[in-house]
Amino acid sequence: MVSTARKIKKPLLKRSTGDKLFSGILVLPAVVITFIFIIVPIIDSVIKSFLDFRVKNIISNQPGTWNNFENYIKLFQNQKLTGAVINTFSFVIFVVALQFIFGMILALILNSNIKGARFLRSIMMTPWVVPTIISALIWMWIFQPQYGLMKYLVQVFTGGTVADFAILNNPSTALLGIGIAALWKQVPLTTLLLLAGLQNVPDDMLEAARIDGAGKVRTFFSIVLPYMKSVINVSMTMAIISNFKQFPLIWTMTGGGPDNSTTTLAILSYREAFVSNNMGSGAAVTTVWMLLMLVVVFVYNKLMGETEVD
Amino acid sequence: MKKNFLGSLLKYSMLVIILLFLLFPIYWVLLTSFKSNMEAYKFPPTFIPESPTISSYINLFTKNNAFFVYYKNNFIVSGFTSFFTTILAILAGYALSRFKFRWNAWILAVLLTSQMFPVVSRMISLYDLMGDMGLINTMPGLILALIADMLPFAVMLMTSFFQSIPRAVEEAAYIDGASRMGILYRIVTPLVKPGMVAVVLYAFLMTWDDYLHAATLIQNDALRTLSVGVALRYLGELSYDWSLINTISIIGTIPMVLLFFSFQKYMIKGLVAGAVKG
Repeated sequence: MVSTARKIKKPLLKRSTGDKLFSGILVLPAVVITFIFIIVPIIDSVIKSFLDFRVKNIISNQPGTWNNFENYIKLFQNQKLTGAVINTFSFVIFVVALQFIFGMILALILNSNIKGARFLRSIMMTPWVVPTIISALIWMWIFQPQYGLMKYLVQVFTGGTVADFAILNNPSTALLGIGIAALWKQVPLTTLLLLAGLQNVPDDMLEAARIDGAGKVRTFFSIVLPYMKSVINVSMTMAIISNFKQFPLIWTMTGGGPDNSTTTLAILSYREAFVSNNMGSGAAVTTVWMLLMLVVVFVYNKLMGETEVD
Repeated sequence: MKKNFLGSLLKYSMLVIILLFLLFPIYWVLLTSFKSNMEAYKFPPTFIPESPTISSYINLFTKNNAFFVYYKNNFIVSGFTSFFTTILAILAGYALSRFKFRWNAWILAVLLTSQMFPVVSRMISLYDLMGDMGLINTMPGLILALIADMLPFAVMLMTSFFQSIPRAVEEAAYIDGASRMGILYRIVTPLVKPGMVAVVLYAFLMTWDDYLHAATLIQNDALRTLSVGVALRYLGELSYDWSLINTISIIGTIPMVLLFFSFQKYMIKGLVAGAVKG
């Protein structure tokens, strides 16, 4: 078999032009669509961020006019952007960190030979398939200020001292409330990916560690974690990106309020562009946001790349 | 022995806590959907319905059936999107895994980074662009935008599936005089069926979940999809009909739960392959 495969590989050169053409035609539709509907719009929105461009420009079909960085200046002057950046980072750090911890704990438990692990693995995925907008509704109902389950539970556990707990109506806890809903929806996927990573850790390594007398904690940190590094990296990068982008959950649950306490960059840009109808200003927010995201993903990968755990 | 016991006590209590957190809310919604509004607005809440009723389901199917227009629209949009995404992903994924050209690395890099950028930034200029192309407020426009949104992950997933197929099969067919397209269509594609199923399901689930594309590109109520339709029609500023909303939550989730649980083998394999190799 091996020798025939070798022999056949030689005529490959002759058909290379045909291959090139064929391959080019195959990737073309995907490349064209990505280009028209993703790359061009992104570049265009960066350009628009330097222009005075509003809905009236679209209606009357007039191009935007250069306005000397006014979109950016205004955003920085009225503190809108700073607040949104702080909210976005608090949200991302809170959700991603807890997502990793809960996901890891659940994955470790499901990977230890407990009864019904397969069954539990499939039912625990349910929140992941619930559409985002519906997860928002589910948690709004639980957090409902008058008849909500959360109010009842808080009342019971505090012995009645906290009688009016309305997590989404209080500026200091609203972001936490949304974070809980985000965790609920995202922990399952993280668990699934980490579980797959755990199953890739070779058994003989674990066996060897056990024979050498390493405790469970030691084994976890010096064998399991290093083996899972790439899975952890991918799943955490995905988590960072998706929480950075989180929109429908926040928009439905609080709309950015109360008192802008849940206005993240996603909410701010949408509100500037499609509620205040100032596309230029919205584009300025997304431009800052894209830069921040690139920095975060870069720094994260740099950090993860350098801390060799072995 | 004692340490072991404590260990498993800790393990099982953690398991119960996390599973309660993940699953109880679903029970809670299901429960509320079978309560009357009278009972739903009771405080303290009841954990087992006192007088179970399907009145809010009847209400949804008879009086508030605008919901089903959104439902149907969403099936059309998600169906077309996942169909075309999968075809494009098969073509591109095959090309990227089989033929090694200099442009491959560039294409993959572009696809990878395009996933990172916020959707709002695209929508700002897509709104303008689609307006120029006469695609705003149309389903084809929404579908095109969603295909573009789904493609990066779908292509990377298909590429990783094609890479796991040995090349020897194709070489043999080529020697026998099969055309390139014939090889792809008749020989290779059937081998990546699990990958295709994973991409179809992934695209369907993700577009079912879409909010931003539909919210900005569609203003006509008759063309709205589920997320936007529900958010705009049933979430009034002042009055919330919570039994109805919980019923909507259940009906809106059922297709996804059914899809996932019927095909979870493929789904899980696909998700894991996409994350571990991609």
